[in-house]
Amino acid sequence: MASKILVATFTQVDDMLRAVKQARREMLRVYDVFTPFPVHGLDEALGVRFTRLAKITLIAALTGLSFALCLQFYANVLDWPLNVGGKPDNTGLAFVPISFELTILFAGLITVGSFLLRAKLFPGKKVWLAHKSVTDDTFAVVIRRPPAEDVHQRALALLKECNAANVTEAEADL
Amino acid sequence: MSDHRQGAKDKLVVLGTRRPTAYWKSTDELHNGVVDHGEFPGGLPPITVDYAPPAEGAVIPTGHDHDHDHGHDHDHGEHDHEHEHDEPGSDGPNRRDFLTLMGFSVGAASLAACRAPEIKAVPLPVAVEDMVAGVPNFYATTCGGCASSCTLLVKQRDGRPIKIEGNDASEIFGGGTCAAGQATVLGLYDNERLKGPQWKGKAAAWAEIDEQVTTSLRQITAKQGKIVLLTSSTNSPSLRALIARFLKEYPTARHVQYDAISASALRAASAQAFGKPLIPHYAFDKARVIVSLDADFLGTWISPVEFARAYAHGRRANGPEDAETLHVQFEPGMSVTGSNADQRVPTLPSQLGAVAAALLARIGKLAGQAVDPVTDPVDGKILDSVAAELWKHKGESLVVAGVNDTATQLVVHTINRLLGNIGKTVDLARPSMQRLGDDAEMAAVVDGINKGEIQALIMHGVNPGYDYADGANFAKALSKLALVVSTADRHDETNADVHALCPDHHFLESWGDAEPIAGYLSLQQPTIAPLYETRSFAESLLRWMDDTTTHYDYLREFWRTQVMPRQTGLTTFDAFWDHSLERGILDLGAPADAVTDGGAGDWKAALATIRDDAQKAGGDKFELALFESVGLRDGSDGNNPWLLEMPDPINKVSWGNVAMLAPQTAKKLGLSDGDIIALAAGGVTIEAPAFIQPGQHPRTVSLALGYGRSSVGKAGNGVGVNGFGMMHVARGGRRNWATDVTVTVTNRSEKLASSQTTFSLEGRPIVLETTREEWKEDKAKKEKGEPLLNLWNERLKGDKLWGMSIDLDACTGCSACVVACQAENNVPVVGKDQVQRQRIMHWMRIDRYYSGSEDNPQALHQPLMCQHCNHAPCETVCPVLATTTSSEGLNQQVYNRCIGTRYCANNCPYKVRRFNWYNYTTGNHAGYNMANPTGRLVLNPDVTVRTRGVMEKCSLCVQRIAAVKNAVVKRGEPMQDGEVKTACQQVCPTDAIRFGDQNDPQSGVAQRMNGERAYRVLDDLGTRPNVGYLKKVRHGQTT
Amino acid sequence: MDKLPDGVADVVWIEGSPTLGKVTADIAAPMEGKPGKLWYFLFALALLGLLDLLAMATWLVANGIGVWGLNNSVGWAFDITNFVFWIGIGHAGTLISAILLLFRQKWRTSINRSAEGMTIFAVMCAGLFPLLHMGRPWDAFFIFPYVPNQHGPLWVNFRSPLVWDVFAISTYFTISLVFWFLGLVPDFATLRDRAIGKIKKVVFGILSLGWNGSHRTWHRYELVSLVLAGLATPLVLSVHSIVSMDFATSLLPGWHATIFPPYFVAGAIYSGFGMVLTLLILTRQSMNLQRYITIKHLDAMAKVLLLTGMIVSYAYATEFFSAWYGGDIYEKYHFINRATGPYAFGFYLMVLCNVLTPQLFWFKKLRQNVAVLFVASILVNIGMWFERFVIIVVSLHRAFLPASWGMFYPTPVDIGILVGSFGLFFTLFLLFIRYMPMIAIWEVKTVVADQQHTDAALAHAAHAGEGSSHGK
Repeated sequence: MASKILVATFTQVDDMLRAVKQARREMLRVYDVFTPFPVHGLDEALGVRFTRLAKITLIAALTGLSFALCLQFYANVLDWPLNVGGKPDNTGLAFVPISFELTILFAGLITVGSFLLRAKLFPGKKVWLAHKSVTDDTFAVVIRRPPAEDVHQRALALLKECNAANVTEAEADL
Repeated sequence: MSDHRQGAKDKLVVLGTRRPTAYWKSTDELHNGVVDHGEFPGGLPPITVDYAPPAEGAVIPTGHDHDHDHGHDHDHGEHDHEHEHDEPGSDGPNRRDFLTLMGFSVGAASLAACRAPEIKAVPLPVAVEDMVAGVPNFYATTCGGCASSCTLLVKQRDGRPIKIEGNDASEIFGGGTCAAGQATVLGLYDNERLKGPQWKGKAAAWAEIDEQVTTSLRQITAKQGKIVLLTSSTNSPSLRALIARFLKEYPTARHVQYDAISASALRAASAQAFGKPLIPHYAFDKARVIVSLDADFLGTWISPVEFARAYAHGRRANGPEDAETLHVQFEPGMSVTGSNADQRVPTLPSQLGAVAAALLARIGKLAGQAVDPVTDPVDGKILDSVAAELWKHKGESLVVAGVNDTATQLVVHTINRLLGNIGKTVDLARPSMQRLGDDAEMAAVVDGINKGEIQALIMHGVNPGYDYADGANFAKALSKLALVVSTADRHDETNADVHALCPDHHFLESWGDAEPIAGYLSLQQPTIAPLYETRSFAESLLRWMDDTTTHYDYLREFWRTQVMPRQTGLTTFDAFWDHSLERGILDLGAPADAVTDGGAGDWKAALATIRDDAQKAGGDKFELALFESVGLRDGSDGNNPWLLEMPDPINKVSWGNVAMLAPQTAKKLGLSDGDIIALAAGGVTIEAPAFIQPGQHPRTVSLALGYGRSSVGKAGNGVGVNGFGMMHVARGGRRNWATDVTVTVTNRSEKLASSQTTFSLEGRPIVLETTREEWKEDKAKKEKGEPLLNLWNERLKGDKLWGMSIDLDACTGCSACVVACQAENNVPVVGKDQVQRQRIMHWMRIDRYYSGSEDNPQALHQPLMCQHCNHAPCETVCPVLATTTSSEGLNQQVYNRCIGTRYCANNCPYKVRRFNWYNYTTGNHAGYNMANPTGRLVLNPDVTVRTRGVMEKCSLCVQRIAAVKNAVVKRGEPMQDGEVKTACQQVCPTDAIRFGDQNDPQSGVAQRMNGERAYRVLDDLGTRPNVGYLKKVRHGQTT
Repeated sequence: MDKLPDGVADVVWIEGSPTLGKVTADIAAPMEGKPGKLWYFLFALALLGLLDLLAMATWLVANGIGVWGLNNSVGWAFDITNFVFWIGIGHAGTLISAILLLFRQKWRTSINRSAEGMTIFAVMCAGLFPLLHMGRPWDAFFIFPYVPNQHGPLWVNFRSPLVWDVFAISTYFTISLVFWFLGLVPDFATLRDRAIGKIKKVVFGILSLGWNGSHRTWHRYELVSLVLAGLATPLVLSVHSIVSMDFATSLLPGWHATIFPPYFVAGAIYSGFGMVLTLLILTRQSMNLQRYITIKHLDAMAKVLLLTGMIVSYAYATEFFSAWYGGDIYEKYHFINRATGPYAFGFYLMVLCNVLTPQLFWFKKLRQNVAVLFVASILVNIGMWFERFVIIVVSLHRAFLPASWGMFYPTPVDIGILVGSFGLFFTLFLLFIRYMPMIAIWEVKTVVADQQHTDAALAHAAHAGEGSSHGK
């Protein structure tokens, strides 16, 4: 369901950061910040939890590795053993390169895939922009509009104090 | 025996200095640093052969192996019966060219390029008696390749002769053949052959022609006009009888035999020495010392297959331990025989007589016979020791001369007599009938024609227009005659405007018989119905005597009346006939009129003439030595792509002959390989590309005969230069050498089609050799390395482990195996351009290296094919498993699976893999026999024809193994050792190659493989080949 | 939070520290305006090359490998030389985007995008040659495992380095492509939001996957980039190692060498950076991006060239040493032949370009002279091509048996296809810099932001009278 929000735009990174920190100190609910590039330090400011994507990568890698080994072992030893240069069927060393490559391939693709899934990024997705130039040069802090009027005023003052370029009210489901 | 050995050893010390072990680079590399193959070859190779569209309904083996090819290879036999008359040679549309022009993108082109052409299979309309599809029949017959008349077994498959093999029932020729003999089967399918008889250049019916010929013969006889029956050496008893009858029928006729390369002088000398013109039957196996004056008896001279067999037998009967035979060769340029000699002495052709004289003088002294000495033409020390060796081995030595000079031959006869060799190594009782030509008579005929004394000429098996001096004029002179008949099988240099062209059968289509050695008869029987409207010469003669008997009936009648009585045992003629036909040979023993050593002949006069000659030929002018080439011989089979592409055993040049000069001479003249030089002598000038030939006498130029045909066919026309023009008749013998030759260097140069450009071993242990002395002292064994450790467990193998052992000591380098392999395995001919680009396809090649000094080196011949490694480097790298090792140790190539990355060839240390750079079975890119429907009939249905873009190589004749396995299963008994013979092993006259099961310790191959001389090439790479070699053993002290 | 992790940030990588908006505008300019004459000229040339490639390849496939100069002795020549050459070129891209990312090298931001693009195009060119060099390209699918036929599956030979190549190169291509695209997504979003034309809006809309700059996404995004970089780094090292095994696992003198993998990787990076230099110098001239691709960037790359060039030279020396020290007669002969044989010119060309040329970069003056750099970068490319030619052809033409020694002479088709591959490469690259952000906008912005922050910090520090640049 759509909720009322305040969108405060900044032109300076530092102002934006200060705004986010103070807003949270003021117990204001900061939904998200929209920036043209990843701003370092925002994580702490926003208190974002560490993502679990790395674990997925590990699992994917192991899958790839075992798939490669099984494929080669099955083909060379179980399904169709042939005398190739008098070498034994299970020439483990020779399997290393392919196993390695498939490990990387699986890990890479699955990681990216799950990222797109988690971040709900897909072609033709309807875009909601906090501000028309957040992908250009504007930093937009999105705060829940406090229901209490006094709190709301305090929030506006706070944002102004952090020289927000402009603050607008809007509705969106985040 | 052992005292001989002892004596031989200490005496041989004087034969020059110890063999240096250092190897020198090929003259190319030595003088020019780089083997230059000209500037960048631009664009595509030229289209050099005709393309004939497949006849409607014909079954053409295609290069495409998408589906298994046996299916459509199978039925060629039928095709020829139905479509022998369609004109090959006409140009047809070509799918690839079309594509090349139309193709817009890689995709489009590749899609189209992989589409297989349509095939139509036509079943045999009527089944033939005792013909089982897929099972070959063997027919005993006699080779018509040359007058040596070797006995053959012809492999006939589905009605087509596809392979020539020696008849091992023959104790004279054995199972081997020569390269030229192997190739005769392709000559049968030559689409340049005449398709029928012609009268004055127009196709005519036989009856019509017979009438014309007979009437005009009768008229000429009536007018007492002279008739000459000019044939090549004719040792067929039935034909000789028939000719005799013909001469009776036409009293003014006379029979003249003419050989392009004759032994006329030898026969003349025999007439003086023994009272009868004959060629003694030489027993090389009985000789302990062999001295040859320019007689290439292992390559071309008189009966090379027989001689090579005997030579190897006598020389290597029980391995090198009793390798007693000392072989000394005096010759201008290196011949196959010379390359095998223990001692080779480069000698001026004009001085060969003097050498004989000098030897006679020395032996005369030893024999207490007064002979006035001559000045030594070569190092007297060598002559001394050679004479001594000969004398020591009285009665078991042999001196032969290839020089076509009566005086020299007479001296040689005398030497043999003094040595007591007559009746021992020189057999007069059963003379050889393999060269019967008489140069003097031929000269008389030519004279008669020019003078207009001869009215009619019937030519059979001769081509003077090509191979007689001033042949062009000879051919022109024929127009003066009232009647000229030629039985040539094609429009050749002679029969341009003869009256009657009466093409003879190819010998594989014809009945006949032969008597190569007096009393030793063999039969000839057809192995295929005549492809064209041809008729055997014998039948023609019969017709021209108004006799309607068929050749077959005449032959039977002759054998019934003339031959059968001379044998005992078989009583009914049919039994006798069938028996003889089946075995192909019949030994009747020495003829009644056998010659015993008659008068001595005036050898003193001969010595005098020789002395004069020797003095005349002094000075520092060049001399030209013409020799019969091992492949093309006298050039009569000059349109045979197999022979044209076979590299010369010595200089390794194919598709042309070269003027060979000594390295020092070439340096003096500033020549390098391929530079065109002009040779002028006696008013005749020819131009040929120079070739730097180690071991050549510095004052000689050697040139191979048999090349330079101008009218023989698309493949052979204009290949090389014709040297016959330089021959001239002197003292009744056509001399194959010329003195006072001027060599002029032109500024032109051509690229030679060499299959090997580096002749040095670079000091690498590839061809191992030892000396008899070292061998005795057992040093040789030490050279054998320890077997390498196996990194992996041995894989499970079948009950057999095929292997091949090649005795470098027995191999003479004659190259018969190269052609045999090509015939057996459908190896394509790729043409001059591709050979120049080093893309020769031969599965089996013979590498030839030199060691010792550049001026007189020793040669080494190493036959090399896929080594069938147990740990094959090629297999590991193939991405698609297209090559693997079979359970029986064969390295297999799967054409269907191969995608042509060529990685295997790169990783093969032996470089034996061959890649199909183009589709050699289509009209463009020089497909030769594979590119025309007639030529394809020679293909072996058991072997897939490879398509473009796949790798191929020696399979150790896996199809032959399979055939024997089937036979074994049928008869239910175990396989015998030596039952499977590979093509190269089968053809080898010297038994240098042996094939068999290594798992059976008793098998010949296992014995050899574990012998002390055994080694494997590049064994230290750990490839573990199943092909092994036996070290060469030499008379160490010689050089 | 500390914006100044190390000294690197002190260097001003983007000149005149423009505002964020200016950065966007500058980089987007080439895509919105018309390119200069130079671009059109180069593009025309490239197209010609591409056509030549198509014609030659068609001729080749229609007639057979025989149209090349190969023979029984030399089974590989230009084909595999070009293959290894192009694969090598690719490596610099991955190196810059992945390894330098891991090392947090800020200077990469201006060049990584185009370098990655180069990687992808180079790998495409490389992939062409294994296909063309086959005797029967229409059967190329045989090299994929499991081709079923009536007898069941047909497996490939997993022991063959060629099969390893197939896996390595396809993996390498896929990962590089994904990495590249992922990096482009935020920039696509930027372009989407500033696009005027309808089509552009739609196209970039699809490509940007609905990116809206949410920091939560940025947070995951950065991690994924790191993970990919972590994967790509060993990958790039493995790819050329495996390519080198085509030779190292054979037993041919000159191929059979354990030093090959590191030697090839170094060579690849060396040649790759050479190509990057060539391209960037051309680009910054034709697209007026001197402000973003500064002399400092070029200088840094020259240093990399110096380093890798030294490694390559060391490898050359080692090869000769082991040939001499090992005492194997075939090996020994091979290296004598390399330096004195018929192909010696190739060897000396390679020494000149790969051993001597990089020595120039000891001098700052030369490192920062665009003209010198351009010429040097071309020389590097030539040298590395000849290195592969020498390794492949010289080893093959005189192997074990002197009787089968031969020579290779290229035909017009050989040369035409080599030239054509450059046509393909440059066509793709020029289209890329015309229609895509060839500098990573968002990454440059991070750098710009850092700089502005640093300036502020410096100013503040100076005002406070403290010397430290690490205030705050």
